[in-house]
Amino acid sequence: MCCGTGPARPHEARARTRPRAAEPAGLTVRVGGAAARLGPALLLLSACDGRDAAPAAASPPAAPPARFRFVDVAPEAGLVRTTWAGRPDKDHLLDSAGTGVAFLDFDRDDRLDVFVVNGWRVEGSEVLERGRHALYRGRADGTFEDVTESAGVGGGGDWGCGVAVADADGDGWPDVLVTSFGSLALYRNRGDGTFEDVAEQSGLVAPTWNTGAAFLDADGDGDLDLYVAAYIDCTMDQVLAARPSLDWKGVEKVAFGPFGLKGAADRFFRREADGRYADATEEAGLRDKALGFGFAVRALDFDDDGDADLFVANDSDPNYLYRNDGGMFTEVGTWAGAALDGNGAAQACMGVAAGDADGDGLTDLFVTNFADDASTLYRARPGGVFDDVTAHAGLRDPSYGPLSWGTAFADLDLDGDLDLVEVNGHIYPQADRHPELGQSYRQPAQLFENDGGGRFADVSAQAGPGFATARAGRGLATGDVDGDGDVDLALSQLDGPPVLLRNEGAAPGAWLTVACEEAEGGGPVIGARVTLTAGGRTQSRDVASGDSYLGSHDARAHFGLGAVERADEVRVHWPGGGESVRRDVPARQVLVIRRGS
Amino acid sequence: MQVSRSVMLLGLTAAGAVALAFTVLRAPAETATPAQLVASYDSLANAILAVKATEDHIVRAILASGYAEAQATVERAKAALDAGDAAKARPELETLAALVAQLGTEGDNAVAGIRKRLLEGGHHHNAEGEQQGVFDEGYVVVTKAAKKTLLDASKAIAGAKDSKALSAAWAPVESTMSGLMKG
Repeated sequence: MCCGTGPARPHEARARTRPRAAEPAGLTVRVGGAAARLGPALLLLSACDGRDAAPAAASPPAAPPARFRFVDVAPEAGLVRTTWAGRPDKDHLLDSAGTGVAFLDFDRDDRLDVFVVNGWRVEGSEVLERGRHALYRGRADGTFEDVTESAGVGGGGDWGCGVAVADADGDGWPDVLVTSFGSLALYRNRGDGTFEDVAEQSGLVAPTWNTGAAFLDADGDGDLDLYVAAYIDCTMDQVLAARPSLDWKGVEKVAFGPFGLKGAADRFFRREADGRYADATEEAGLRDKALGFGFAVRALDFDDDGDADLFVANDSDPNYLYRNDGGMFTEVGTWAGAALDGNGAAQACMGVAAGDADGDGLTDLFVTNFADDASTLYRARPGGVFDDVTAHAGLRDPSYGPLSWGTAFADLDLDGDLDLVEVNGHIYPQADRHPELGQSYRQPAQLFENDGGGRFADVSAQAGPGFATARAGRGLATGDVDGDGDVDLALSQLDGPPVLLRNEGAAPGAWLTVACEEAEGGGPVIGARVTLTAGGRTQSRDVASGDSYLGSHDARAHFGLGAVERADEVRVHWPGGGESVRRDVPARQVLVIRRGS
Repeated sequence: MQVSRSVMLLGLTAAGAVALAFTVLRAPAETATPAQLVASYDSLANAILAVKATEDHIVRAILASGYAEAQATVERAKAALDAGDAAKARPELETLAALVAQLGTEGDNAVAGIRKRLLEGGHHHNAEGEQQGVFDEGYVVVTKAAKKTLLDASKAIAGAKDSKALSAAWAPVESTMSGLMKG
């Protein structure tokens, strides 16, 4: 390793409770006319960012503080490498599917790092460049160092698609799974800043167009199994030979599919006692009988019975909702109401977010869809069924136009409820030649504010320059990258560098982040569920690996607390059983809770 | 669709070549399509139409099988609910919900895979009905409206707490299926 990151501290040295920079070490500056506490990293970045972070003196006196304000700081922060996406005209759907992005803390220095999956640059049928994935290590000053090559995670030359982060081998260090067209890579974290790809030797072989993936303990044996979705059954020769051939609204030829093409089968790998993976797709009841065009995968306990179920967002086919009963799965999506929209139609689903949108304690699902069709909010009802409440929640009209991909529930204004983000961008660059059709290739991301009861308002126009810029967006990951207590956003886009939207909102709310770790430290513990009670309100989060669109969020559970400065109780339900409880917990800190403590 | 067109074009070209050769070799010139080709095509037409009817019969058989299973299940579920045996009723209700949902989707995911393969090949059983918005793509018997009714009913069945609620949820299934199976 050449970058001098050095080994992380020994596990024993880690404090159980770590105050963060925002409150105690805070330096108060003016942002957009409002007081905000910013750590040194933010200050440095703000100094670099002449576009958006206006000094106090320049602020108009009457300007109200912006509740939401997001600014792209990726160039200054060093997230600069281009993510390639095939040919300029997107001749094949692989050219336009894009790639995922993840937040992780691979070196366990308590600062978030960023992983971005890369594709290929192609002209005609000629491969010009096989893109290298990117691992950016977060520095103390808020910038990032590209450690891809020293870490050994640039990839073996396959066209990358998705990423999922989890401690797959249980050694305390987060490992990285990358799905690609034709292969899987499992980068085992050696704990010294370097990784080794152990996929093939571990039995993770999937010669297909792999897309979303999720780690979960499917059989309750304490280790993490893996579900990998797949999209279209085709060869790279077919991809490279493809030319636009589908008539699009009578105006242009565009990339063909997915209708008219054969779906590829999803796979399920069970981790065995010897650390190898066995293809247990059939055995676990997960055979992809409909060969749906699979994209996003999210593990969640939707029926609240303590084990991990699976949701798979399928493009143009009914979604799958697999209920786990003791390690055997049953597909219940259709009658449970999550396979189709409220009209019974299969949608072109891309990404998924899971969270308790209406504060009733049940995990709802939000699925992003194609252009000229709304994204869908499936509200969970007791008994493990879902209702399409998109229109009632105020999401139908604002989400109808754009073509949406990465998505996340997150409390972006720290008021105690989950807001929604979706990242947009069309798959046909040809759209720009036909403005009369009301679509454009690049589209701004959207932010929907929760009113506290599960109804949303589109506040994108009031969310700062980060939500005003049109992009060919795809992946989205959430995490508090600058350690100031609010949630920032990482986006991937086609043929461009990543985007890092720093949350500069002036929302005054308190917050608490909960890191669920193994007894010896490290993790995170996938499948843990955190329930927080504060100010008479109970919120919950689950810890997942594999989320959004082909990506992974920071696995720590983040809560906005509004005006409440202490949580009455923080309770962690551990996968496999057991609970840890903390009472009277001060806000504005990262609370580490270890299994068994 | 493209493959089908190519095969058809090849066939037509071959048939044309045969017809041309036949015409050139004999005299005087004959303008009528050769009777043998007409007969072949007529047979093919019968086969195509028969296949379409067979598809209809198979899908109806899928529906009839599922509906019969559902009718038996609803009785078991009602009995369990009437007996106050929630533990026994739960799996019956879920099975019934799954069966009713599959009536709405003309079969389970395995059938969906076959339907998808047919669509990939360019086959739309109810092409006109799809254009009119009556049928979802590839559906043979179940209309969009019937599908929605059955899907809504399946969720209501899954959540039924007592026999009365189950009967209320089941009623639209009976009326919808009765209408569909008549056709």
